[in-house]
Amino acid sequence: MMTPGSALLRHAAFAQVSRTPADVFDNLYLVFLVLGTLVGVVVISYTVYNAYKYRASDPDAEGRYDVEETPPEEDGDGVARPQVGEIPTGSGKGGGKKLFVSFTISAVIVLGLIVYAYSLFLYVEDTNQLYDGEDTEDPLEIQVVAEQFRFTYVYPDGTTTEELRIPKDRPILVNVTSQDVMHNFGIRELRVKADAIPNQYNEAWFQAEETGTYEAICYELCGVGHSSMRGEEVIVMEPEEFNDWYDSSEAEKAEVSG
Amino acid sequence: MGENGHLPPKSNIKRWLVTTNHKDIGVLYLITSMFFLVMAGILALLIRAQMWAPGATVLDPGGYYQVATSHGFLMVFWFLSPFAFGFANYVVPLQIGADDLAFPRLNAMSYWLYLFSGVLFGISFFQGATFMGGWTMYAPLNAPAFIPNYGHVGSFAAILALVMFTGSVTIGSVNFLTTIYRMRAEGLRMRDIPLFSMSILLTVWMMLFAFAALLGALVILSSDHLLHTSYFADVDGNPSSGGSLLWTHLFWFFGHPEVYIVFFPALGAMAEIVQTFSGRRLVGRKWFVIAMALVAIQSFIVWMHHMFLTTINLPIKTIMMVTTIGISLPFDLMVFALIYTMIKGRVRWKTPFLFVLGALLIFIVGGITGVFLGAIVLDYSFRGTYWVVAHFHYVMASGAVALIGALYYWYPKITGKMYNEFLGKIHFVVAFVGFNLLYFPMFVVWETPRRMFEYSAGFTFWHRVASVGAVLFAASFVIMIYNLFMSLYSDRVVDDSPWAYTGSTEWAVPSPPPTENFPGTPSFTSGSLRFLEGPEATDGGVEGEEATPDGGQVTAAADHGEPHPDHASWWPVFAGSSALLAGIGLSGLSPSMFVWPFLFALPAFVYFVGAVGARRDGFTVLHGAFLSASFLLLAVFIALFHVTQGIITGLESAPTYFWLALAGAVLGVYTLVRLGFESFYVPEPTSSAQWPFGEVENTKLGMWTFLGSDIILFGAFIGSYVFTRFEFGWQDWWHVAHEVGGLEHHPVWPGLLNTYILLASSFTVVLALVFARRGVGTTEIGPLSVENRKLTLGFIGTTFLGACLFLLNKGIEWVDLYFHQGWTFNADIMSSTFYLTTGLHAAHVVIGMMLMLFLMVRSYTGAYQGEDEARTIEYFGLYWHFVDIVWLFLFPLFYIL
Repeated sequence: MMTPGSALLRHAAFAQVSRTPADVFDNLYLVFLVLGTLVGVVVISYTVYNAYKYRASDPDAEGRYDVEETPPEEDGDGVARPQVGEIPTGSGKGGGKKLFVSFTISAVIVLGLIVYAYSLFLYVEDTNQLYDGEDTEDPLEIQVVAEQFRFTYVYPDGTTTEELRIPKDRPILVNVTSQDVMHNFGIRELRVKADAIPNQYNEAWFQAEETGTYEAICYELCGVGHSSMRGEEVIVMEPEEFNDWYDSSEAEKAEVSG
Repeated sequence: MGENGHLPPKSNIKRWLVTTNHKDIGVLYLITSMFFLVMAGILALLIRAQMWAPGATVLDPGGYYQVATSHGFLMVFWFLSPFAFGFANYVVPLQIGADDLAFPRLNAMSYWLYLFSGVLFGISFFQGATFMGGWTMYAPLNAPAFIPNYGHVGSFAAILALVMFTGSVTIGSVNFLTTIYRMRAEGLRMRDIPLFSMSILLTVWMMLFAFAALLGALVILSSDHLLHTSYFADVDGNPSSGGSLLWTHLFWFFGHPEVYIVFFPALGAMAEIVQTFSGRRLVGRKWFVIAMALVAIQSFIVWMHHMFLTTINLPIKTIMMVTTIGISLPFDLMVFALIYTMIKGRVRWKTPFLFVLGALLIFIVGGITGVFLGAIVLDYSFRGTYWVVAHFHYVMASGAVALIGALYYWYPKITGKMYNEFLGKIHFVVAFVGFNLLYFPMFVVWETPRRMFEYSAGFTFWHRVASVGAVLFAASFVIMIYNLFMSLYSDRVVDDSPWAYTGSTEWAVPSPPPTENFPGTPSFTSGSLRFLEGPEATDGGVEGEEATPDGGQVTAAADHGEPHPDHASWWPVFAGSSALLAGIGLSGLSPSMFVWPFLFALPAFVYFVGAVGARRDGFTVLHGAFLSASFLLLAVFIALFHVTQGIITGLESAPTYFWLALAGAVLGVYTLVRLGFESFYVPEPTSSAQWPFGEVENTKLGMWTFLGSDIILFGAFIGSYVFTRFEFGWQDWWHVAHEVGGLEHHPVWPGLLNTYILLASSFTVVLALVFARRGVGTTEIGPLSVENRKLTLGFIGTTFLGACLFLLNKGIEWVDLYFHQGWTFNADIMSSTFYLTTGLHAAHVVIGMMLMLFLMVRSYTGAYQGEDEARTIEYFGLYWHFVDIVWLFLFPLFYIL
């Protein structure tokens, strides 16, 4: 579903800043963290401040209640106070305007954040763009098959391994499924994650910018062996190195993986 | 007056077994749920012990997953909601000016089903291993093929415990809805009810529908366990085409409203406590209520945000993101309303207020971190990590913290004694510090995968901080329990209200309130609460027998015109314990054996209806017929048992589970019969505010709301069928059943014939009602003059016969499909959906037939003659029409399309 509005969002300037899903996540997480902390600190301080400022400490002379009740309806502050046996009502007009102003502010912040986040989401979700680039390689498509309690990787040429070897700087499009129960395939640092559901094929893409070894983790409880369904099995290689490996024979691959 | 109409004193253990009084049951709920809090809390400490260092250091993997799963189940189901409903039971009738709940015995039954479902869950630990697939029970890990053999019985027992719990919740929801709509003090409009009652009203609306969906999911899951259907996976471990996704839909359709179900009562309590301890009425009360109602409705259209990483498509993800963000905004308004209420208040930092303030702060953090999850890109990375764990504990446990505040707030009302304020404050400080030490580090090391005890060594420090926090948090409750227990024996006696600026009605009566709650009939017609002298003037006459809303009978006390309401019955506790026995039995029975205990209970039911009816109304020829028929039926079932199992070999090999199930089923039907015949007087409200249901009686409204939840139950089944068929390929469905499943022919005519039979039976039940309404007398039919009661009996009997024909026809069809064509339950997904969905309908028919047997015996002795008395038949008619209407949907779905 690419409505004109969402297409516009996707091409908006701020959506183009980031490239890999990991970059997108890092940027967005930072924005949310800063704003969230700010809002949290302000609201919490304001709450505690008011609870403290309007504290009452005068004890009840007769000792009947926890505090002396001022005469019904009106006291010094012009505030109508609750009385036992009244038909419950609100506080009248007091505070209503303030309520709506703060509600509107919070709504604007939340909606703004979400529109921004949605534009980035459309970017991450759109796997067709991976094939658009003129000066970039098409993504490497790899099928990930989860089972209790390991992942298997199937390359376009049929190579099947238990290690995920990928070239850096090239988009990787994984197609995730499961042979038994529901799993979830994820690589923490590369910010890729997809549910592995039996008889369903779930797409996700990512791109590594550094060579190295990463951990593939199952993020869905999948049985008694779940906690050990993680391993340092994702190997990001220099493109040439990867091509050498990929072009080598089955036997040689097995030897490398040995 | 029932033989147990009067309550023994509180010091007598019998009182707590027989009581139907809402205040007693509230106390029982509170104490029981605290017990489950301790149990689930100990499990949480085990989790934190395991997380002290990476790896299986304390528990083995199977043990850890049992502990983690049970912790979730117990906290969400057996602690949070029941704890809130302890207050709801105690406080809501007081707040709205009702003497009790609408159906006191059903209320007691809710409690006993709750307690015994928890006992069944506890027992499941000792049946090999309890369920270990997480509280979300994702499929197909929840199917028997993927549960280790040693865990089969215990896991199924845990599922059955949830089914029982769902029953308790449904009965409770019907009860509270009827009470709040029909039994408010005069002059108290719906919009006027206090905020806690308002939150309970919205909670039970959500419960009614959400738990029906859960029940649907659980029954389907149970069928995969017991009948070996293949909704989620077949017995060989092949996952079905759409089962995994189907479960996530069913579960989260329940699961998301459930979040608000556990949080709303806390929100209502927060509003009450902030008002009292600020000495101000709530700012923007109207908007607060509107916001809550919006959330309650919207809670049913956000569930797929729990499934952003499944294969749902972009448009659906977008819609769910929008509804999710939309549902967060009303909460902003509610939080601000609570904060602004404190301004210009006279805020007292008493223990209840401290807890509510703490809960508010915790909830703010939970809310903000929830917005993070609403951004799908972030959700992708947070999925399955401790961010989610930390977030929902900040939300759910903030509800728990608020309810602890409610416990301190209403403790003096319930016990008549004031707790120790100093210890209360200590409890708060330790709990608040412990809570944040426990959960905030989880945000810091949020990259830890959830439900995994392996984690990066670098995270160890923060997990240890969390474990220390857990110990502190747990310890704080020791202080609370000590405080509340010792305070019972203190001399800090309180009168009506120990707090200044209370408003709602519970504070206008003594602490604790007397059994009848109010000194007179409460009324708000003058603008504020007054107690009117004596209810309606007595009409003096002795009525003999009159129908009660419970369908039972009452003999008016001979000395006064006004009979006293009954407050005691043994049958609810028996109902709960027989469900427990049946549940334990069922958990360990094989597909070939499980049905027999319940079949053998049917003749027992017929016998009890005849025997108990004869004792109650005097022996008639119909009672005799029932007694003889029961033996005949028993002989038939024994013969059938012999043919399929062989009596000697069958009974010799019958496990203990068989006898437990038999005992549970027979005790269960006996209990139901006794409940039906018990005279238990509950006055129908006469001078209450009843908008918008002034024109219907309590029992009819109860029946309506019950059928509302039943619609969702069938909706879950029909939805599952449609979903599964779409995933499989709509057009291929029957072809594959024929080609692969071995189904030779699947004729339409048995379904068509049954459609006609059911429609006709709907007509005859209406005729039964017509003649019952005519009262005592005779009706001329041609040359014959027939007594109306016999016509009533005749038409109920005709309806019963129709139901028999329906089942007979279905039986012939099933025997052909199952035995002759070999199209068994597990032949393919088509047979699974066909047998289970139409089987659920058939179960409804059987329950209807049991009700009709009861009605037949009663109508023969003239129990339903007259406009008011005939209502019982009308209520049954509603149920029966509903069952017929359901068939009108099932017939085209399973026979034509």
